[in-house]
Amino acid sequence: MIRIVGLYKLFGEHEVLKGISLHVKPSEVVVVVGPSGSGKSTMLRCINGLEHASAGHIYVEGTDITDPQVDINEVRQKVGIVFQSFNLFPHLTAMHNVTLAPLKVKKMPQDEANEKALQQLDRVGLKYKADAYPAHLSGGQQQRVAIARALAMDPDVMLFDEVTSALDPELVKEVLDTMKGLAQEGMTMVVVTHEMGFAKEVGDRMIFMDEGLIVEEGKPEDVFTNPVHPRTKEFFSKILSHI
Amino acid sequence: MKRRTHNGEETGESLAPEPRIQVRRCRKATASLVFGIGALSFLPGIGAVLAIVYGALAKREIKRDELELRGSKWATAGITLGILGIVLPLVALGLYLSSDKVRALFKEFINLRILKESMPYLLRGLLVTIKLAVVSEVCILFFGLFVALIRISRIKVLRAVAAVYIDVIRGMPLLLQIFIIYFGLGYLGLNLSRFTAGVLALTICYAAYEAEIFRAGIESIHKGQMEAARSLGMGYLKSMRYVVLPQAVRRVIPPLSNEFIALLKDTALLAVISVPEVFQRGRELMGFKANVTPLIGVAICYLIITLPLMRVVQYVEKSLSKTD
Repeated sequence: MIRIVGLYKLFGEHEVLKGISLHVKPSEVVVVVGPSGSGKSTMLRCINGLEHASAGHIYVEGTDITDPQVDINEVRQKVGIVFQSFNLFPHLTAMHNVTLAPLKVKKMPQDEANEKALQQLDRVGLKYKADAYPAHLSGGQQQRVAIARALAMDPDVMLFDEVTSALDPELVKEVLDTMKGLAQEGMTMVVVTHEMGFAKEVGDRMIFMDEGLIVEEGKPEDVFTNPVHPRTKEFFSKILSHI
Repeated sequence: MKRRTHNGEETGESLAPEPRIQVRRCRKATASLVFGIGALSFLPGIGAVLAIVYGALAKREIKRDELELRGSKWATAGITLGILGIVLPLVALGLYLSSDKVRALFKEFINLRILKESMPYLLRGLLVTIKLAVVSEVCILFFGLFVALIRISRIKVLRAVAAVYIDVIRGMPLLLQIFIIYFGLGYLGLNLSRFTAGVLALTICYAAYEAEIFRAGIESIHKGQMEAARSLGMGYLKSMRYVVLPQAVRRVIPPLSNEFIALLKDTALLAVISVPEVFQRGRELMGFKANVTPLIGVAICYLIITLPLMRVVQYVEKSLSKTD
């Protein structure tokens, strides 16, 4: 479904990604963990073209999105992304946040878009907040609306970029539960997260990144309990000492 | 503080008999006298009013508690001084107003008869002024937004062109631009009407300023908004149109409203190319009637529009900040 081959990304002189290769199969949930600045978010943002790859190739359902001829807007319809900072449109109600792209990009008729939006809001448990503006929603609710907004485009893959990092601790669960539900429905997901419990429970595969490289990869339990690479060991020992 | 002045007054006025019974002087009476003296010396106007008010209050209090309070005479004195404090300045003003100079002022500058005669002609000019401002503003909004979008586009050359336009225009007086556009276009063989030339000059000038306001508004919207919209598959222009601009426009409404008021006043500059707007008509009448009064009429015309407009802007500003 997604295949990354030798992905490099430079910001000026600074090398953020130093040759990433990764294959995500349909219905697979890949969790990406690692210290801050290891390039996790950058890799995710490259997958839907928010950042341009400096070298290497990224294939989304067979289309190489690093090819300048490719219509990136078309690819993005297939790849939903949810951000750390929600980025809901504050001037639109929850409902209109969800219907905007289907109406303007897919040219869906209003009735159908509304019906679909309600379905998606129901899926994240927020049908009753359809007419609320983002400012009147809690962080957890905003993030769930953001998930519904991405789902409304019927993506084949969902990318999650530290979606619970900006939330108050008591609001984290509702968002993780929503994501868990998605995973169970068979959605292909790439999840950058610091939530180790979630990673272990929901992830099919765990990727550990450090300094722009994939250092370790495997079943979450294995990576978590029996890390091989010294950097991974150090990382998990630091995390565990805080629990 | 009050108590101390009160005591001071009493010792100072020791000539008055001081019967040793449970009688005290009404403080308001003292205050009345102090203000009364003040009214004629260091505290004109307001002092007189206060003297009369306190005097009256003191009188009422004394009447109610005749056995315990004294100071009726002081209150009377205070009221008298207060009244003098009002009457004397009025008399002085009256004397001044009846002088030749002032009469000349009323004849040449605030001549009510001429003002009345001028108003219909001026008000028709005011309509032209409003039309100029509204038509220009519509053009300015479209052109200014267009320039702003070019100014932030990803194509370097376009960006540079917009930047040069904005800087050059903002670096010149509007008056000069009006001359250049009106006469310049004439030489190019473009014979625009004065009104059209005026609208063109105002548009070119004000669009530069409003483009910068639009740009600031657009740039104030968090870049996550654009990213979120793009991630949903919306193109750059669609994201701008449906996500960024609606938010940016809300933020720039207050500064744009102020620009509109400034624009309305700056239409007066078009008098130099004889657009028959209100100021131009005022000048004509001034010559025609050999009297300055029409300019007062012009001032009234502008204020009729600008004063309520400023209120509206304040209101809009307040209600926008509430919902933000």
